[in-house]
Amino acid sequence: MKLTVNGIEREIESPPLTPLLFVLREELEVTSPKAGCQQGGCGACTVLVDGDPRRSCLTAVAAVAGAEITTAEGIGAPEELAPVQQAFTHHYAAQCGFCTAGMLVAAHAYVEGGGTDDRHAISEALAGHVCRCTGYVKIIDAVAAAARGDSFDLAVTAEGQYTTMQSGGGS
Amino acid sequence: MAVHTGRGVAAIEYPTGMNQNGDPSQAWIKVKPDGRVDVFAGTSDIGNGSKTIQSQIVAETLGVPYDWITYDNSNTDSSPVCTGTFASRATFVAGMAVKKAAERVREKVLEIAGKELEIDPSDLEILDGEVVAKGAPQKKISVGDVAAAATWTYGELITGTGAQLKPYAAIVDPETGRVDLPPHSAISYAACAAEDEVDDETGVVTVTRLVQCFDVGRAINPTLVEGQIEGGAVQGLGLGVLENCYPYYPSVEHRGGQFGSYLAPGMEDLPTLDTVLIENPSADGPYGAKGIGEMANNPQPPAIAAAVYDAVGVWVTELPITPERVLRALKAKAEPRREGKVVAFDDELSVNTVGTGLRFEVPA
Amino acid sequence: MKAVGARLPRYDGVAHVTGRTVFVDDVRIPGTLWVKALRSPAHHADVKGLDVRKAESAKGVHAVITWKDVPLLEYGHLSALGIPADEPLLAKDDVRYKGQPIALVAAEDEETALEAVEAIELDLEEKPALFDVRKAFDADAPRVHHWGNWYPHFEAEMDRRQIRKGDVDRAFDEADAIVQGVYRPAAIEHVPLETQVCQVVPEPNGRLTIYSCTQALYFSLGVVAAHLQVPLNKLKLVGGTVGGGFGGKVDTATETMCSLLALKSGRPVKWRWTREEEFLCSSTRAPWHMEIADAVSKDGWILGRKMLTLHDSGGYARFSPYGLTKHSFHHTGAYTIPNLSFDGYVVFTNRVPTTAMRGFGVTSVSFATETHMSRIADVLGLDPFEVRLRNANRIGDTSPNGVVYTDPSTVPTIQAIAEHLGHELSADYRTMTNAKREGELLPEHLVAQLGNPEDH
Repeated sequence: MKLTVNGIEREIESPPLTPLLFVLREELEVTSPKAGCQQGGCGACTVLVDGDPRRSCLTAVAAVAGAEITTAEGIGAPEELAPVQQAFTHHYAAQCGFCTAGMLVAAHAYVEGGGTDDRHAISEALAGHVCRCTGYVKIIDAVAAAARGDSFDLAVTAEGQYTTMQSGGGS
Repeated sequence: MAVHTGRGVAAIEYPTGMNQNGDPSQAWIKVKPDGRVDVFAGTSDIGNGSKTIQSQIVAETLGVPYDWITYDNSNTDSSPVCTGTFASRATFVAGMAVKKAAERVREKVLEIAGKELEIDPSDLEILDGEVVAKGAPQKKISVGDVAAAATWTYGELITGTGAQLKPYAAIVDPETGRVDLPPHSAISYAACAAEDEVDDETGVVTVTRLVQCFDVGRAINPTLVEGQIEGGAVQGLGLGVLENCYPYYPSVEHRGGQFGSYLAPGMEDLPTLDTVLIENPSADGPYGAKGIGEMANNPQPPAIAAAVYDAVGVWVTELPITPERVLRALKAKAEPRREGKVVAFDDELSVNTVGTGLRFEVPA
Repeated sequence: MKAVGARLPRYDGVAHVTGRTVFVDDVRIPGTLWVKALRSPAHHADVKGLDVRKAESAKGVHAVITWKDVPLLEYGHLSALGIPADEPLLAKDDVRYKGQPIALVAAEDEETALEAVEAIELDLEEKPALFDVRKAFDADAPRVHHWGNWYPHFEAEMDRRQIRKGDVDRAFDEADAIVQGVYRPAAIEHVPLETQVCQVVPEPNGRLTIYSCTQALYFSLGVVAAHLQVPLNKLKLVGGTVGGGFGGKVDTATETMCSLLALKSGRPVKWRWTREEEFLCSSTRAPWHMEIADAVSKDGWILGRKMLTLHDSGGYARFSPYGLTKHSFHHTGAYTIPNLSFDGYVVFTNRVPTTAMRGFGVTSVSFATETHMSRIADVLGLDPFEVRLRNANRIGDTSPNGVVYTDPSTVPTIQAIAEHLGHELSADYRTMTNAKREGELLPEHLVAQLGNPEDH
């Protein structure tokens, strides 16, 4: 069977019931989607199937035969980052980075699909993506910024809107 | 049948570095022939951003741009000892090791620049990758040219090593616990207020807002500090109201083995966060920094417990504060035992009630 | 441009957002075998029989390891801190928690490995289990550890961590009220998005390359070297980029076992824990049981504290004695309490061994002391901000174990949140600083505990 992955058509040799996650990671060596839980519960395996976010750990590869699969590697490259990638960089939305690939493709789909910068709408769209490091605040900041079409200075990171610096405080 | 609001506060402190010290970190640096800087340190970056912070410290100490720094912590052949990324030590202890290594490199760069410029090194400073004579900025040489001179004129490799180790603070008297040295590198402080809504029909506690103030000594990178605080706030919320490996503790039955049955906080659990950062510098940390990583998830649970009491008048002191526990407490309407001047809560939880081999005796 | 204080972008940020960051599981080595573990199904049992021959001879299986394959079976990870070894890398005579690893298999693929694990013959004789730390001291409690039910190797072979300061009896005698409470925070999971994972490659020159998710490369290097009884340069740990740790990736839970399998099979091996293993078998934050009795004056001074802590260590000690010690040093929280009597025990139960997690030792004591402080304020009818400010550490105050505070920030952090909330403090409290105590802030009972910050 054939699959287009990040714009390149690939011939798939894995058995048809192999989870798409492992076809990508093991057969095609596209390693950005992660095996976070293999139960569909964390979102780290999320890829876009014809533009829609799907849990690749729960998707048999045969079910997506002929589809266009997009992963974080395919959304943009270091020399030319997509808006959500720029937003994640500028707003410090990735700490350890393990949830990032899945979070990012879902965010990309949200923004491409016309999602607004409403924080509740973003929360709903990304519900089910678990992040343990960031506390989600800057992820929502980043997606909102990308949805608004902000431009990003990648040489600095944004000031958090919920934190104020105050100097001194001692004797 | 109503939703009640409440507020509770907490103030905490937390040590930087392994308890009782004795935890070394080391680093070494070399400079490439064009002045670019390679840092070798053993600190694992677990998401906290130690690669970034340590690179910033080196850039600042050396006086070169941040993007001149390459940071390699990838393996134990090329990297020296770092005890580990825990005990909130990556910025202070490991950061001091790279700072010291950078200081050695700086000395060497100034020495060679001094020879090239025929100026005493003490009259030179390094700004943005250029060695410049103090007060005479037209007399300068780029760090790149200094490195080239080292390589092809003087036959030298510009390196620096650094090691940070606070001596082990022994317990000199095990009966009292007294130590012979401060058993930490610094202490950080924080205060937190939690605002919540408690539904007295379902028992559900919703944390609506966390107002926090953290003293981090010096925010080497304020964005990364915010990241720790925000991530810590959500973990603290999880500890306070959601998570439990053993929902029927002390029983081990019915453990949650999946994300649906173990309640790790999701985006929908995020309260409004309001954080103030103050900088009360440490005495001898890198640029006054203190640890922040762990403390970030400590003040929320007690602030939440007090907020639940403020909302519905019950103290739940077993975490997490689940709807079931709130409802049971509301039903029980327990009052503390009052005997003379004693006001004793939670007798039913005490070793005195549950066990037979150990007693908690309170002086009368 | 200044670097310190600048909001510079993350060093590896671009790699994260383009999916190019390499974690342990992303490393591809041809010929890698899959590892699966036989784990104890029982909470507490004697091992009567263990026969791995059927697994070893199964098609596609390249190596099986048990305790017999480990050169040094028990190594105390904190033996440098005086905490003796108590935990076998792989179970030998008994199992003390459900999920404890007994044998490991390296096979061509995951399915073969799982089938081989099923083929291992394990004979267990179950024993009564202990789960409630409060009952660990009962005369008829099941005995769950060869040292007894609580750790007996603190300094001078004491069986508890003890803090004593001042005259706690006098404080309770002089108190206007004695407020007591019990605090029990739960065990929680670290939940890193990256589960425990390790890949080991045997190199042609006899070294092992260990791709590790450890939070502590050199610490784990030392642990593996000790179990294998080899010098440090025989092993190369590769890592430093971890998908979340929070304290749960210091135990070195996979590296040694994978190394043994790589040596025995002569092939690269990889062990990636399932999320279920991570939730059910990985070490957790400890549950704690804390009882506090505070002697307080009606105007809100905490004159003295008596405290009992039971730290639930699970089946083995790991880092628990260290965590309890840290806890004891901080059991007064951010306040100056001059008369203290603290007793803490590291208690063994038949639970997954507990380990460090963000705040290790202090998270628990902060929960107890701060909730207790809120209760005190409520019982005495005092403002919760002001009662904290009054007792807050100041320059020259001393900690539970005699350390002098040189520049504590408790006062300004509390004032900052009060201001942010619009909570009005009375004038005295609004203008308080952390300066050395004097006047009204230096009642007689706090005089003796003062120390000299200049000495530190």
